[in-house]
Amino acid sequence: MSHIKTSMLAAALIAAAFSGAPARADGDPVKGKATFLAVGCFECHGRSGQGGRMNYPAPPLAQLQLPPESLAAFLREGRNDMPPYVASQVSDADVADIHAFLQTLPGPTDPKKIPLLAR
Amino acid sequence: MASKRSDTAAVGRRGFLKGAALSGAAAITAGEAKAVPVEAPKKASAAYPGPLQLAADTERPNADPATQTSSGGDFMTDVLQSAGIDYLFMMCASSFRGLHEAVLNHGGNKPEIIVCVHEEIAAAMAHGYYKIDGKPQAMICHATVGLQHAAMAIYNAWCDRVPMLAMVGNILEEDKRLPGAEWNHSAVDPGALIRDFTKWDDQPANLQHFAESTVRAVRIAQTPPMAPVFISVDAELQENPIEDREKLKIPKLSLPLPAMGEMGALREVAKMLTNAENPVVVVDRLARTPAAMPLLVELAEALQCAIIDVGGRMNFPSQHPLNHSGRARAAIAQADVIVGIEATDLWGLINAHSDRIVRSNRPIYKPTAKLATIGNREMLIKANDQDFGRYQPVDLAISGDGEASLPYLTEQVKKLIDDGRKSALAERGKKLAAAHASMIDAALSNATIGWDASPITSARMCAEVYAQIKDDDWSLVGTSVGLAWPRLLWDMKKPHNWNGGSGGGGVGYNAPASLGAALANKKHGRLTVSFQGDGDFMMCPGTLWTAAHHKIPLLYVMNNNRAWHQEFMYLQAMAGRHQRGARNTRIGTTITDPNIDYANLARSFGVYGEGPISDPKELGPALKRALAVVRNGEPALIDVVTDPR
Ligand code: HEC
Ligand SMILES: Cc1ncc(C[n+]2csc(CCOP(=O)(O)OP(=O)(O)O)c2C)c(N)n1
Repeated sequence: MSHIKTSMLAAALIAAAFSGAPARADGDPVKGKATFLAVGCFECHGRSGQGGRMNYPAPPLAQLQLPPESLAAFLREGRNDMPPYVASQVSDADVADIHAFLQTLPGPTDPKKIPLLAR
Repeated sequence: MASKRSDTAAVGRRGFLKGAALSGAAAITAGEAKAVPVEAPKKASAAYPGPLQLAADTERPNADPATQTSSGGDFMTDVLQSAGIDYLFMMCASSFRGLHEAVLNHGGNKPEIIVCVHEEIAAAMAHGYYKIDGKPQAMICHATVGLQHAAMAIYNAWCDRVPMLAMVGNILEEDKRLPGAEWNHSAVDPGALIRDFTKWDDQPANLQHFAESTVRAVRIAQTPPMAPVFISVDAELQENPIEDREKLKIPKLSLPLPAMGEMGALREVAKMLTNAENPVVVVDRLARTPAAMPLLVELAEALQCAIIDVGGRMNFPSQHPLNHSGRARAAIAQADVIVGIEATDLWGLINAHSDRIVRSNRPIYKPTAKLATIGNREMLIKANDQDFGRYQPVDLAISGDGEASLPYLTEQVKKLIDDGRKSALAERGKKLAAAHASMIDAALSNATIGWDASPITSARMCAEVYAQIKDDDWSLVGTSVGLAWPRLLWDMKKPHNWNGGSGGGGVGYNAPASLGAALANKKHGRLTVSFQGDGDFMMCPGTLWTAAHHKIPLLYVMNNNRAWHQEFMYLQAMAGRHQRGARNTRIGTTITDPNIDYANLARSFGVYGEGPISDPKELGPALKRALAVVRNGEPALIDVVTDPR
């Protein structure tokens, strides 16, 4: 999946992602969706987490393979053209909610099952 | 009394005379006025002219002939026809009424007038037209006021290196100007307004001068590097009689052959390419003619090398296994030789840069990679507007036309490839084909995300459109900002399947330039489609009236994300950096409250309109209906409510 491939997060974060660290139990996907829309994540990553493009492609986020703590750490600094989100703008609780929301997004399916995309 | 005075003031000069004649006959006095019928006071309200004034106003002096049998405009029309101008895109204005009338009544509406409601539309239509037809056209507008409207579109054409003949009417001799507007609308040097982004301009002083300068302008515009040219046409010259038509000569238009690069240097590039492990060829505004694409395919296949097509023109088939435009970074990172051919911004492509507080950048390419460029862009750059991009150091820079250089370059490459090398190249080709296939697979997989979502994803919108046009002879002539799907997933292999972008990034290009391109496609019976950003559309919405008026078949698919979305993202990034107001960024960047009803707007201009469509299931059927209209020779617009990108 391209969002894993394109990720250049620090090795520790990647390790955390694949160690299967559970999302924080208190993340609320409904609130998470509202925050995802309100603070503008959808502008660059799409409402379905399908990815988008500002100066260059912004990766898909549906089914993000990062634990909430790592997501929070990432958001505080941003990376390249991904803007930073400090805690006064998006709190740790907000991040947990966004994380929970991203887990509810279905992510990619098999294009062969969609007639318009089947080749 | 006061009301009588204002009545008098409202009566024009002719009304005044009429009133004066009547008042003489009726001899109404102020006292009697009360007794006459209601309308009488109006007739009688003017001050009485004396006999001298009456004579001056009614008798024509002999030195003031009222009619003429020829006009400079007639000759100018002959010149335009002879220079191969088929269309005159225009917004009417008195400063060129002489030429306007002559085109109609002397030229039989040849060049054909395409009526535009804004000068920006006129220039952008000429821009879009050229990129399909390959023949420059003319636009004309009012000096000063009209030209300022047109300037943005002329700038886009300049950045896109597209030729057009831009013209204005101007009143040169000050004693010929009426008071008021004719002064505001005249300039000593109208070309100064756009000289930074035109290749050449002139303001002819007589008709022979007009003929020579116009033919010269059309020739200069089409000599690579191509660009808009400008002629300011004196109104007196257009309107007044021709003194002696026999004396006037229209020079023949002859176009010089584009110059190819120096042969020794091209042989050097051929060597670099053939000896490389992983050569990459980068192209942008390469294809000048339909001949370019097969030439580039021949070079790519001979070398089995990756092509990165930035897409300023239709340069290379999108689904060719050697097309690596969608994985440019990876291809550049592996390259040991990179050759840019008419690659406008090579620096931008082969370096990574980030939009942070400190604007950093670093090469993506290997420090050991050898770089060469072939192209003519640097033969035409100017100092003020910075459209030349950042300086990219290279090992070999060749001045010369890319397309003209291709045959020789390919011939040399083929000469250098011996049989022993061929199997290694075939191996490389296989690897590249596999990388191309996984690039497509990844794109298809990403396209499935949010497939059924509302607002509709841009991937779904593009797939729905493609499904319905792919079996036609289609032409995609415009896309909204950052819409990458068509060039990644559609099978573009004909020269008219794609025609590049605005050039200068001046929003307002897409709607009118797409219409210009559709006009060029019309005579070939092609099915023309354009993805239309809502922000772009609102710059020149009146384009739709021209589409309806001239019955130009074209489907606009409104990519309606209800925002100037590119700017929405930039503002979000700014709020993030400044650690404040992440929830405020809709202000000034979104086009909501009220939402614009584009389908209704289209209908009000006489264009078939449907929408807003936010349920993806409804999109296919709506497109089918709209495309039936377009296939029937008329324009249509579908308003699709979309997710950002
Ligand atoms: C202005 C555009 C923009 C906004 C707004 C934005 N992002 Fe990003 N995001 C990007 C870009 C661009 C990248 C890729 C950065 C890079 O690697 O160069 C990115 C990367 C990411 C990544 C890394 C994904 C990966 O697989 O590497 C995550 C996670 C992410 N963003 C989450 C978010 C969240 C959550 C929000 C909202 C709180 C958000 N982004 C808002 C542009 C944006
Ligand atoms: C003449 C001009 N004005 C402003 C801009 C800044 N600008 C760049 S992209 C953009 C948004 C265009 O909106 P739209 O066509 O709807 O595309 P979207 O970004 O929403 O996909 C604007 C305003 C510009 N490039 N040109």
